[in-house]
Amino acid sequence: MSTPPQHSDAPPANKGLLAIAVVCLAIPIIALMLVGTYAKDGPRLFDFPFFIWYQFLWVALCSILTYTAYRLVLRARPHRPMNPEGTEFLIDTGDDVGDSTTDGAGDSETGR
Amino acid sequence: MTALTPAQSTGGVNGVALTVLVVFFLAVAVAGFWAARWRRPASMDSLEEWGLGGRSFGTWVTWFLLGGDLYTAYTFVAVPAAMFSVGAVSGFFAVPYTIILYPIIFIFMSRLWSVSHRHGYVTPADFVQGRSGSRALTLAVAVTGFLATMPYIALQLVGIQAVLEVAGVGGSGNWVEKDAPIFVAFLVLALYTYTSGLRAPAIIAFVKDILIYIVIIVAVIYLPSKVGGWGHIFDAAQNKMAKTNPDTGKPVGAFIPAAGQYWAYATLALGSAMALFMYPHSVTATLSAKSRTTIRKNASILPAYSFMLGLLALLGWVAIAAGTKPIGLDGKPNPQLVVPQLFEDFFPPWFAGVAFAAIAIGALVPAAIMSIAASNTFTRNIYKAWIKPDATPKQEAKVSKLTSLVVKAFALIFVLTLDKTNALNFQLLGGIWIMQTFPSVVFYLYTRWFHRRALLLGWAVGMVYGTVSAYNVINPVSKGHFGGSLAEIPGLGELGYIALTAFVFNLIVTVVFTVIFRAFKASEGKDETIPADYFADAGDPRVEKVESEVPVLPPGV
Repeated sequence: MSTPPQHSDAPPANKGLLAIAVVCLAIPIIALMLVGTYAKDGPRLFDFPFFIWYQFLWVALCSILTYTAYRLVLRARPHRPMNPEGTEFLIDTGDDVGDSTTDGAGDSETGR
Repeated sequence: MTALTPAQSTGGVNGVALTVLVVFFLAVAVAGFWAARWRRPASMDSLEEWGLGGRSFGTWVTWFLLGGDLYTAYTFVAVPAAMFSVGAVSGFFAVPYTIILYPIIFIFMSRLWSVSHRHGYVTPADFVQGRSGSRALTLAVAVTGFLATMPYIALQLVGIQAVLEVAGVGGSGNWVEKDAPIFVAFLVLALYTYTSGLRAPAIIAFVKDILIYIVIIVAVIYLPSKVGGWGHIFDAAQNKMAKTNPDTGKPVGAFIPAAGQYWAYATLALGSAMALFMYPHSVTATLSAKSRTTIRKNASILPAYSFMLGLLALLGWVAIAAGTKPIGLDGKPNPQLVVPQLFEDFFPPWFAGVAFAAIAIGALVPAAIMSIAASNTFTRNIYKAWIKPDATPKQEAKVSKLTSLVVKAFALIFVLTLDKTNALNFQLLGGIWIMQTFPSVVFYLYTRWFHRRALLLGWAVGMVYGTVSAYNVINPVSKGHFGGSLAEIPGLGELGYIALTAFVFNLIVTVVFTVIFRAFKASEGKDETIPADYFADAGDPRVEKVESEVPVLPPGV
């Protein structure tokens, strides 16, 4: 992991923004896995049991959170075009946003 | 509630509804053939064009295509049927399932899109081949995908059969009268899939999804007022689920999951969400998108379908309050018929026809995409990999087109000649099996730490455990095997989704053997991808076909 980033590695990314995006994506999964927190009848909303309307609510929340993650990821790792040979990406696109940590561990070992 | 009226109560042939259904079907067939001209490429003679629509679909087409692909006619029939007969655990889990699905695909599908775009991968197994260099592992992934998709195609027929049966066609009489409608429907489907490839379901998905949305919105606004309001509907559902089932001595079902069912509910949702994008047909629809960001944008707008699915699930409970009696033309109760029967009972015939058309067309879109995906898998990972390695793109397209016909013919024979429960059992097994390819496909998107032979061993263990475990589930009423998808999780004592339990065993075996193989420095195989491939977007150069035979290595190796 301590090798200097190569151009064929993942393009550089803002790690902090990626982490926030991951949190946005994890929230709905965790919330819905905790079935005990919502498997109950009351309080009812327009006669709908809590169990039903709460999950409908998560449809909307998940959509909002996923869209937020989409915007964050676009900003965290702007696309870097590749060279015509397709062997590495180009770095002359200006703003360098920090290190080259990928959102997947172990990418750097693929080149060995 | 249990007093069954004789078969005549379905009222014989519903002429108006049937006419509307046929008109829609014909319109869709015309659209399917016309699709070949839509954004016409220079040549349809490659899997890129026939099998992936030229990888050209933008956000909206992808939205309709994925929605049409994932929310199948079988879903529309089976989810309300489960709500109607056994309640929330086996029915409403579809809602959290299709919610958590999207964060999951957001995370890994854009990586799969990028690497597939760079290397021209058409199937998940193509990627596994390129990444692992292991023909055995690739074959395992391809065969699993193929086997899991086949019963799924067959089950789409169950959706069409359900509406035809309620409309009064296909139940009785001789072979011609009984099976001819399905036969004709599938023949037409097969022909336009053959000529237009993935473009056909992409066009038809528009019609399908718009019809489905109209029908469901009308149904959830209109029906509750007819049966005494939502409060009464939920009370009726609660009463029915709390009654004791004389066959099992237990409650009929769950109105809201009880404390002992939390694990079942959560693992069904999570396991199904993880497995869905391992199916070749989901991958096909994803790879047809024109850019990497299309997928992620779609992940945030696709939940609109989950909302609709939730409403549809509730129609199963509306039917309880309405006292719907889903009785087949053979005079036996069949919960699969509950939604079509509800529509026929309460809607004027012409609108019932629209609703039937929505479900029937809803079967055509996924059936087309699934048969294309299964054919692509066969062509790329079995025909080209094992039979004719020097096949040209044109030969590939030809084999794939022919295979799509064979696959559909097989599905048709499967449903018409065998007992329907066979299709259901295989579908259940398919969900468990496909989950076992998750480590090979998804882990490889991120790391090559897992050893290819360990992944193969893990897959084998997951397949065997899952199959045995599913076989041992006994149906409490019929006493048959494959009685359901839930079994006790070893060491936990709770019921859980077998696919997820098998996946955990798969994972443990994979990790343990990876450590062992690494200790013995077993050959890791050649990786033809470079890290930057996983971030490529439309416009980035493709790796040349000739080049992909020789692994492309990054500088500094």
